[in-house]
Amino acid sequence: MIGKLLVTDLLKMRRTGIWWVVMVGSVGLTAMQALNFGLRYDYLVHDAYASNPWGGLIESTGVFVPIAIYLAMTLLMSMIANIENRQNSWKQTLALPVRRSQVFASKFLSCLIQLLAACVLLTVSTLILGLVLKLPGPIPYMELATFGFYPMLASLPMLGVMLWLTLTVRNQAIPIALGIAASLTSVFGASMPELLPLSWPALAIHSGQTMRFVGLGIGVFAVLYLLGSLHFSRKDVA
Amino acid sequence: MTDMMIETRNLTKKYKGTPAVDALNLAIPRGEIYGFLGPNGAGKTTTIRMLLGLIKPDSGVVQIFGQDLKRERIKILRRVGSLVEYPSYYGHLNAVENLETIRRILNVPKSRIDEVLHTVGLTKDAKRSVKGYSLGMKQRLGIASALLGSPELLILDEPTNGLDPSGILEIRELIKKMPQQQGITVLVSSHLLSEVEQMASSVGIVNQGKMVFQDSIPNLQRKAGSEIHIALSDPDAAMITAREQGCFPRLDQGRLVFKGIDNGQIARLVAALVDARHSIYRVEERRKSLEDLFLTMTSGASNANSERHEASAPRAAGLRKEAAQ
Repeated sequence: MIGKLLVTDLLKMRRTGIWWVVMVGSVGLTAMQALNFGLRYDYLVHDAYASNPWGGLIESTGVFVPIAIYLAMTLLMSMIANIENRQNSWKQTLALPVRRSQVFASKFLSCLIQLLAACVLLTVSTLILGLVLKLPGPIPYMELATFGFYPMLASLPMLGVMLWLTLTVRNQAIPIALGIAASLTSVFGASMPELLPLSWPALAIHSGQTMRFVGLGIGVFAVLYLLGSLHFSRKDVA
Repeated sequence: MTDMMIETRNLTKKYKGTPAVDALNLAIPRGEIYGFLGPNGAGKTTTIRMLLGLIKPDSGVVQIFGQDLKRERIKILRRVGSLVEYPSYYGHLNAVENLETIRRILNVPKSRIDEVLHTVGLTKDAKRSVKGYSLGMKQRLGIASALLGSPELLILDEPTNGLDPSGILEIRELIKKMPQQQGITVLVSSHLLSEVEQMASSVGIVNQGKMVFQDSIPNLQRKAGSEIHIALSDPDAAMITAREQGCFPRLDQGRLVFKGIDNGQIARLVAALVDARHSIYRVEERRKSLEDLFLTMTSGASNANSERHEASAPRAAGLRKEAAQ
């Protein structure tokens, strides 16, 4: 049943521009770096990152990964929720023979798929950029594959909050405001105390304890997901 | 008992202490078109949402197909089609895609989409995005969605709301055909009695969350009774003639109004009036309209004696009632 729901959710996303957000978000980050490296190629490749140009490219892109992920989670979830909210289609969707917890899960999975797609796009586009720039040295495939993925897992608590808010609150201004505020604050993530989940994506890249923050992210997300799902399953649909 | 499609017992839902639905007992037999009637805010939509499991009752039981909704929700909903208030649709998709999102979940063959689109007459516009549909077309799409799973029970909340007369007529014809052609039981809510009267076979009237009347339409009409109105040239003199004939009319805007009078009496009376050289303009039977009856029932016992007044100005009374809410 969850598979069917997921298929319908993906079907509902046609022509909503959601996939554009996925594209623009990830490829946009790379485009920014293309500009950066294109303008100051000699300085960056032969001077600042001379010892490890690939690492330099990944690091300069990585600075913007947390804010991009938070923004993406906010925008994608509110767009997903908006499909049902706009014409109040919840009453139709939930009057079908489906479990509410599965509807909730399907919305989460569609967002996760989009986030993963964005990570893959980021990896691929950064790789292409590196190749186009003819960066010297061995290509760090492992790092390329994970420098978007790990921070994404470390920021999952945000997705937990967004899932809950966007799917249960009719007024999308509230979750969107919260999401944007969070993504802006996350720029300073690396200098925040690690008690704050907002710092986790940055710390997952910079602290050297990647797995710890990834684990924390997944753990907190699991709790938020359960609470959100429980609330969603019980609430009255207006 | 077993043939009841929907049965509720003491169904209650409170919002901040005030009951929106108060100990409601609904009983809808198989094959009926059941008109669920009540003024705005009477608790119709709340009841329907509870029937679909969208909101949870505070107390009471809902049984559909003789099964408990709380325990068998998914099994029951598979056999129910619904349209709650304004139609839900995805504006950026076309009609076929809209139905496809539901078809996947209901697991019915693709050909059903064409069938239901044909039933509601949307085949021509199937490939247009629903955003550009008129309200009537959206409403028809909503009914198509409700029909998609070949339901045994169709729950339509105010399906003619906001439609123009031709749209109302179309939807009404569509609903009327369902029990005969496909054996579907229909629950249709409305705040317009004339609507329900024209399509329903039985009726339940709610007011302030309580059921005030539940029976077949003919029984409702029987309850309404009828009057004979005679319009003529000199009503005052005619009153005397009528009394001589043993009839005791009341005078209403220059007409003689007779209640509970049989054919023989009317024949003698008219003959006597003609003999007395009255010019008779009209002899007409007037059923107390269901609207009056409805207003009498929904406004409670306190208004029962102002029946006559309401009968003369049912529209105004209706407006006043709405304003009071």
